[in-house]
Amino acid sequence: MKHTSFLSAKSDLESPLLRYSGAQAAGGRRPAPAGRSSGTKSGGNRRQSRKAPGLFYSGLGIDMPFLIMVLVLLVIGILMMFSASYPVAYAEEDGDSYYYLKRQLLFAVTGVALMIFTSFINYHTYYRFAKILLAISFIGLILVLLMPSSTGIRRWIYLGSTPFQVSELSKFCVIVFMAYIATKNADKMKYIKYSFLPGAAVFVGTAALLLAEPHYSCIVIMFFLVLIMLYLGGMPGKYFLVIFGGAAVAFLIAWSTGILGYAMTRMDGWGQALIYTTDEMWQTTWQTRNSLYAIGSGGLTGLGLGNSRQKYLYLPEPQNDFVFAIVCEELGFIGAVAILALFALLVWRGIYVSQRAGTTFGKLLGCGISAQLGLQVILNILVITDWLPNTGISLPFFSYGGTSLWMMLIQMGVVLAVSRTSKMEKI
Amino acid sequence: MAKGKKQTFKSRSNVLLAIILILGFGAAVCRLGYLQIFQANELQQSAVNQQLTDTTLSAKRGTIYDANKKVLAISASVWRVVLAPVYLEDDTQRRIVADGLSEIVDVDRETIFEKSQQNSYYVEIKRQVESDVREKVLEFMDKLENEHDINSQCIFMIEDYKRYYPYGDLAASVIGFTGSDDQGLWGIEYQYDEALTGTPGRLVTATNAHGTAMPFQYSQNIEAQDGNSLVLTIDETIQQIAEKYMAQAIEEHAVYNRGVCIIMDVNTGAVKCMASVGGFDLNDPFTLPEELEKEIDTIADDTERSQAYNEALGKLWRNKALSDTYYPGSVFKMFTAAMAVEEGLVNEESTFYCDGSYTVTGQTMGCHLRSGHGTQSFRDSIKNSCNPAFMQIGEKVGAKLFWQYYQAFGFSEPTGIDLPGEAGDIFFSEDGTMLPVNLATASFGQNFAVTPIQVATAVCAIANGGYIVQPHVVSHILDEDGNVVSTTSTEVKRQAISSETAALISDILEENAVSGSGKNGYVAGYRVAGKTGTSEKKNDSNGDGIDDYIASFCGFAPAENAEVVCLVFFDTPTGAAYYGSQVAAPVYAQIMSEVLPYLQVATQYTEDELAAMDKTAGTYVGMSLSEAQASAEAEGFTTSVKGDGDVVLAQVPGAGTSIPRGGNVVLYTDESSASSQVEVPDLTGYSIYDVNYLASVYDINISMTGATTSAMSVSTSQSIPAGTLVSPGTVVKITFTAGGVSD
Repeated sequence: MKHTSFLSAKSDLESPLLRYSGAQAAGGRRPAPAGRSSGTKSGGNRRQSRKAPGLFYSGLGIDMPFLIMVLVLLVIGILMMFSASYPVAYAEEDGDSYYYLKRQLLFAVTGVALMIFTSFINYHTYYRFAKILLAISFIGLILVLLMPSSTGIRRWIYLGSTPFQVSELSKFCVIVFMAYIATKNADKMKYIKYSFLPGAAVFVGTAALLLAEPHYSCIVIMFFLVLIMLYLGGMPGKYFLVIFGGAAVAFLIAWSTGILGYAMTRMDGWGQALIYTTDEMWQTTWQTRNSLYAIGSGGLTGLGLGNSRQKYLYLPEPQNDFVFAIVCEELGFIGAVAILALFALLVWRGIYVSQRAGTTFGKLLGCGISAQLGLQVILNILVITDWLPNTGISLPFFSYGGTSLWMMLIQMGVVLAVSRTSKMEKI
Repeated sequence: MAKGKKQTFKSRSNVLLAIILILGFGAAVCRLGYLQIFQANELQQSAVNQQLTDTTLSAKRGTIYDANKKVLAISASVWRVVLAPVYLEDDTQRRIVADGLSEIVDVDRETIFEKSQQNSYYVEIKRQVESDVREKVLEFMDKLENEHDINSQCIFMIEDYKRYYPYGDLAASVIGFTGSDDQGLWGIEYQYDEALTGTPGRLVTATNAHGTAMPFQYSQNIEAQDGNSLVLTIDETIQQIAEKYMAQAIEEHAVYNRGVCIIMDVNTGAVKCMASVGGFDLNDPFTLPEELEKEIDTIADDTERSQAYNEALGKLWRNKALSDTYYPGSVFKMFTAAMAVEEGLVNEESTFYCDGSYTVTGQTMGCHLRSGHGTQSFRDSIKNSCNPAFMQIGEKVGAKLFWQYYQAFGFSEPTGIDLPGEAGDIFFSEDGTMLPVNLATASFGQNFAVTPIQVATAVCAIANGGYIVQPHVVSHILDEDGNVVSTTSTEVKRQAISSETAALISDILEENAVSGSGKNGYVAGYRVAGKTGTSEKKNDSNGDGIDDYIASFCGFAPAENAEVVCLVFFDTPTGAAYYGSQVAAPVYAQIMSEVLPYLQVATQYTEDELAAMDKTAGTYVGMSLSEAQASAEAEGFTTSVKGDGDVVLAQVPGAGTSIPRGGNVVLYTDESSASSQVEVPDLTGYSIYDVNYLASVYDINISMTGATTSAMSVSTSQSIPAGTLVSPGTVVKITFTAGGVSD
C-alpha cells in the first residue's frame, strides 16, 4: 500500500501527517465527525486536516470529559494536599500553615495554563523532535549528577532556587521517543532490531543515569513505560517473556549483590512496618507504619475532612508521596475509592480518546501518557499501603511538587491535543 | 497489514486498559479495603496509642488525724520544675534561662546549662519545690517572655505532693512515712497505703509527634480522686504524755534498747497510745542520730557500711510494741493466777509456801526474796510476786491447760493489729507440750517470748471481764469530703476467762498497786491495778557483761469498770535500777496520773487520800487581804502574804491550780513583791513527810504521784528541776517510789 512508504520514509518530519493525508488520498477510512460510523464524508474535517501541519492545532476540539476530570482531580488534590500539609507547614515553615498551599496553587494555575497551551500544540511536533527530546532527557539526567547532592541524592536541577526534577521530564521524553520508534517502525516491530533494541537502549541508558541519582522508583516506571510502548507498538508477545525473565534475573542479581543500596535499606522494612522487631527497623519503617495507621484510622467513612490526626507530625512529609494516606484517613475507604475511581475514569478516558486519535503516533502517545498516569497512581497506592517498598512515587495532582505537577498537567495537555484529532463525539 | 496493525493496537490498548483498571486499580482498592475495613480497628488502636498522651494527675494523699482530728500527717502541694530546652534557640537564651533558674531553685547554673543543651521536652531541674519558689519561677517565666523574648514554654511545673508530719517524731513507728513516690513505706502509711493513696487522675490529650497538644478538641480529663483520710484511735495528747515520761526514764535509767508504752481502751481495743521511744523524725526518716551516723561512717568497706546503715535504720524504725518479743516475766503471773482460779484449782483460801526457792525435776529456781516469803495466801503470792508460789500454781494447772489458756489469752498468734511488722510469740513447742521445768518457768513468765501488744491485749481481758478484743489504731476512714467511709467496730474475739475470775484478779492487782510489789505504779485518786515484771533476756546486747533485763509494768484503771490498760516496758536499763518496780512502775504512775484526768476518769479517793487530796485554789485576786485570807483558809489552805498593801494583786498558785489540801497560797499585795522569786530545792531522795516540810520552808507547793501510799516511799523525781527560779507558791510535782520491792 501506498502509505506504508511514507512510514518508512527517511524524511521523518512530515511522515505522520503525510500518512494521515495519504490515507485520505488513498480513500481509506476517513475521519468521522460527531462519532458517526466511518464512511460518512465530512468536507470540514478534510479541510481541517489539510490545514493541520502547523505548530498549533485546534482540530476537532478537546475532549471535555477528560479536561473536567483533570480539573476535578486537581482541585481535590490541592484541597487534600492542603489539609495534609498544614500542620507540618505550621511546624516547619515558621507557623505558615499555607506554605505548601500557596506554592501548589501557583504551580497549579501555571500548570493549567501550560496544559491548555500544550493542548493547542500540534502533537506531531513531538514526533519531529523525538530524538531531540530524548537527547534533552539524557543531558538533563547527566546535568543532575553534576548538581550538589542533598543527602546523597541528586534528582534536581536548580533554576535559581526552584528545583526541577529532571526524571519527570524524562518520563515524557521516553514516551514520546518510544511512540516515535513504534510509529516509525510500525511494520518492523517483530524484528528485535527495530523494537526491542531501541527500547532496551532507551531504558538501559535512562536507567543507568537514574541509578546514579539514585531514583529507583523512576527506573521501575521507565521499565513499565518502555514495555507498555513496545507492547502497544506491536512487538511480538514472545519477546515479553524474554524481557520479564531478564528483568527477574537482573533484579535477583542486584538484590544479591546489594547494588540496590539505598533502596535496600528501605526494602529491609518492606512489609514489616507493623511487625518491626528492632529500633532500627522501627525507625526505618516509621513513615510506612504511620501511613498504615492513617489509612486504617480512616475506616470506612473517615474522620472527616481536615480531621486527620496522623498529619500532626506523625506521618513525615504528608504533603508528598504519602498524601493519599491522609486522604484515606480523612475521607475513609469510600472517599479513597471515589478518588481512585476518578483516576481510573481519567485513565480510561485518556486511552479511549487516544484509541480514536487520528494517527498511530497520537494513539501511542496518548495511551502511553494515560498509562503512565495510571501506573503512578497504582504504584503510589501500593507504596503507601506497604505492598511495595517505599521508594518515592508521587501521586499525580495530589502530591506537592512543582515539577511533577507541571509535567503531569503538560502531559494531560498532550492527551488533550491528541483528543483534538480523535474521531469521536466531542461533548 | 495496516488493518491487522490497527486491530493489534486496538486490542492491545484494551488489554492494557484492562490490566491497569482491573489488576492495578483493583489491587489498590482491595488493599485499601483490607486496611480500612478489616484491619481498621487494630490500626486505629495503634494510631490512638501513639497520639494520646496520658498524663497522670497525682491524687492528694489522705490526711492522718489523731482521735481528736489533730493532724499527724498531711500532704501539701510542691512543684517539679521541668525544662523544655527544645524551645530555646541558642546558647544566649540557654544562658539566660540557666542563670535565672539557678538563682531561684538553687541548682548549679552549669548543671542547668548542660541540661538545656538537650533537644528535649522534659528535663527535670528540681523536685519538691515549695509554692513560694513556684511563684518566683512564674515571675521569671514572665520576664523571659517580656524582656528577653524567650518562649516561656521552655519552663513548666508539675504539681506533686509532699508529706509533712507536724509532730515530727511523735508516734513515729506507728504513723510511718512515705517514699519519694508518695508510697507508704512504714507504719499506718504502709498499712493503709491503698486507702490513703486515692486514685490518680488521667489527663488524656491528643498530641502531635512532638508531644504538644493538637489544635482540635481531643482531651479527656479524669479527675484525680484524693485519698481517704484516717482518724486514728491514737490520741496525740496521751501520746505526748507517754513519750515525755518514757524519754525521761530512758535517760534516767540509761535504757539501752529503747522503751515501749501502750495505752489501750480495755473494752474496744482502741490503741490510744503506742510509743516506741527513742525513735526518729518522720520528716527525715533516713537520717540516723548523729553519733550513730559517725560510727557507721568509720566502717571502711562500702558494702558493710551500707549494711550497717540499713540495719541501724531498721532498728530505728522498728515498732517495738509489735515487733519485739520479750519474756513477759512477772506480769504474766496474772494470767497464771487467772487460769488457776478459772479452773477452780486455787481460791482465796489457798496458801503457798516459799522458802526462797523451788525445785522442779531436780532444778532449783530461786525467789527474788532469798529468805523466802514463808506461807502466804494466794493474794499475797501475787502481791509478793513470789516465783515458788507460781511454780506451784503452774503445777496445779498443768501443761495442757496452761497451753489452752495461753492460746485463749491470744499469746499463740499475732493480735492482727492494723500495723505492719507484727511478730508472733516464741513458745517451747508448737503444740504447747513442755517439760515440767518449762512449765515452772513459764508460770512466772520466763523462757517464752511474746510481744508487748499481745500482753496489753491479754491484760485488757483481765480488766474487762475476760474478753479478748481486737487491738486497732484506725478508728474510721473518711473520704475527701470528710464523710465517714468505714468505722472500725469493736471486735470481741473470745472470752478467755469468766468475769468473776477477771474481777478477782483485778481486785488483787489493785491491792498490789496499793500495797504490793506494784505500789510504785499507784496513782492517787484512781483505783489503779497493775503488776510489775522483770525478765532476763539471756543475752547481752550492749556488751557490758551483764545479761540484759526488761523492766515492765502493766496495769489498768480504774480497777473496777476499767477504762484503759497501760503497758510500760524498758528494754535493757543499764543503770543501777533494773527492776520493773523501780524503772517501769514509776513511769506508769507518772503517765497514768496525767492520762486518767485527761480521759476524765472519775476519781475515787480513799479516806487518807481525801485528807491529803489536792484542792483547787480559788480566786483571791481583787479581794481585800483579810477577805482573801479568810476565803483561802476556809478552803483548807494556809496563806502567806508578800507586800504591804491591803488588796490582793496577784496569787500563786493561780486560780484553778491544784495544790494539796493544806497547801500554801501566796498572796501579793504590791507590785514589787510580785516579781520576787524563790529557788526550787532538790526535792528528790526524801520521804513524803520531808518533802512536805521542805516545800513549806521554800515557799512552794507540792503535788505527789507514785507510791504515796507507802511510808517507805522516797521521792525520785520532780517536775521542775532544782535550781529553777519560780514564783513563791508554784506547784512542783513530785514522784515517789517505794523501796524494798524487787520486781
